[in-house]
Amino acid sequence: MKMTHRKAIIGLYVLTLLSALASTYLYGIKGFTGIILGLSAVKFWLVSFQFMEMKLAHPFWKVIIGVYLIAFVGAVWLILS
Amino acid sequence: MNTSPDYRNFYYPPGGILIWIIILVELLTFGAALVGLAVVSREDPASYHRSRLLLHPFYGALNTVFLLTSGYFMAMSVHWAKQNRWKKSAKQIPWALLGGFLFVVLKSVEYYEKWVAGLTLGYDTFFNFYWLLTGFHVVHVLIGLGILAGMYAGIKRKGEAFQLTDLEAGAHFWHMVDLIWLLLFPMLYLIL
Repeated sequence: MKMTHRKAIIGLYVLTLLSALASTYLYGIKGFTGIILGLSAVKFWLVSFQFMEMKLAHPFWKVIIGVYLIAFVGAVWLILS
Repeated sequence: MNTSPDYRNFYYPPGGILIWIIILVELLTFGAALVGLAVVSREDPASYHRSRLLLHPFYGALNTVFLLTSGYFMAMSVHWAKQNRWKKSAKQIPWALLGGFLFVVLKSVEYYEKWVAGLTLGYDTFFNFYWLLTGFHVVHVLIGLGILAGMYAGIKRKGEAFQLTDLEAGAHFWHMVDLIWLLLFPMLYLIL
């Protein structure tokens, strides 16, 4: 299935809604931080790879974004968990 | 006709290498500050949690929707420009501007409420982070709005002669504002 800007924005709305619901109903459960950070990471990935078209870029730039995302989410998750 | 460079070339990522250097520096700066917030919050998690509860996640979520929608319209603007449909490209930009404007309005309301409640810079460490990080982000939003307005005027004036690479670079600055917010929102409004 080809990803389009329209599908991406719908996905981003759904993920934002899921984040809001998760923060309301799942706060305090084990893995809560990971769930919220994971949802944010997917949104970040959708914006950078679809809206910013990094899916078309040289692999170096894709790896840089991936490494940044993993390092940030991993660091925060490790510190707060 | 305006055409895109070969994005597979290392030196020409979408938007251009210069804007990507700026984006990476900004992401590293905000990322480091947020990791710093996570570290200091471990000293007294309960206090940070109480302060975090003084923020309205609804405001943050709505502002996320405003910025994402605005980013969608900028992505569509670039999409139409690549097909050399500059009039259609220009028509997307006012909607992107509206999203950014609504973000600033809602942020101003939030700032006013916090200010009146005495939750100002210096109230506690959490609110120091809140004001500095969101304030610095709002400055980027305002600069981005200026860039979008300038590009809109440029396309209106020059039409097809407007450079696609300039539009892409401006749009990427705007998406960067989205990316930073996608890191700030969960850290400040949801997690701690």
